[in-house]
Amino acid sequence: MEGATMIWAIMIVTGFATFLMRFSMFSGLIHRALPPALDRYLTYVPIAVLSAIIAASVFISHETQMPTIWNTRVLAAVLAMAVAFRTKSVIATLIAGLGVLWVLENLF
Amino acid sequence: MTHPSPKSEFIQGIMDQLPLQLGVVPFGLVFGVLGMASGLSAWQTILMSSVIFGGASQVVFAQLWMAGAAPIIVGSSVAVLNLRHVLYSVAVAKYLRLLSLRWRILLGYLLTDEAFAISIKRFEHDPTPRNAHYHLLGSGVTLWAFWQLSTIAGVVLGATLPAHLNLDFAIPMTFIAIVLPSLRHVPHVLAAVSSGLVAVFGQSLPYNLWIIAAAITGIVIGAQAEKWKAQQ
Repeated sequence: MEGATMIWAIMIVTGFATFLMRFSMFSGLIHRALPPALDRYLTYVPIAVLSAIIAASVFISHETQMPTIWNTRVLAAVLAMAVAFRTKSVIATLIAGLGVLWVLENLF
Repeated sequence: MTHPSPKSEFIQGIMDQLPLQLGVVPFGLVFGVLGMASGLSAWQTILMSSVIFGGASQVVFAQLWMAGAAPIIVGSSVAVLNLRHVLYSVAVAKYLRLLSLRWRILLGYLLTDEAFAISIKRFEHDPTPRNAHYHLLGSGVTLWAFWQLSTIAGVVLGATLPAHLNLDFAIPMTFIAIVLPSLRHVPHVLAAVSSGLVAVFGQSLPYNLWIIAAAITGIVIGAQAEKWKAQQ
């Protein structure tokens, strides 16, 4: 399959799978409640997946593709974390993170 | 007890959903820009917002596609990320079970993080809601419209935005704003840190498996820590 066709195929399959997960418990096909263990595992899905993406985009150097704990993105992210913790605001966090990164990369 | 009319429930759903759009619009813009930058066509980027209709998973789709991940990895990463919707489905099931199939399909499609977060409060407020599904319809449709429009705006604007703005960095910033306030217990923090470590040091895993490996690590460590904590 060529690239564009493949994108459509993945999109339609994952879109349908996402719909099924949302629809599942009132579809009329499943009448039982989730086992408590599964319920506990599912609550950690967003934290685990989003943290993986955050870590990979912040702690992998764009130049070397290697792990780093000291560059402009790490500094900006640490500041954004403090802002997110205090304000719980998406807008404030975005402005803090992008603003600090811009300042660090363009003024120094 | 009197029940609000379908129309007033629908309007209340819209009004309750509107404040959240402050966070949804920039996210949609960023996805529109990122989609184009990752090699998707304008149509693919725009229609993904209708077909998948799940912000974070669309971003993962675009990032993994750009990194050259195999289709099975892109697909399973999106599916893992969206697994949480089963939880939402469980929570609203008792309120929607008796609706017609057409209603249930429509509300299933609209059951996103934001629509769930807003409308579950409405459902729980009234133990025998007669028209409360119109509230979910109102909040779901509102979110859907803002998500589509901001994606389109991102696609249109993307070409004109200069690279030195580092807009790709807006994605982890958005996720930080979502994750940080949700870290309320030690197991949450353990899940986040362990997943992050695997993501960083697992970059050389074949087939871009790092994202799935990191997710599974975080989920298992978090859930186990919670279990141990409860047993103490």
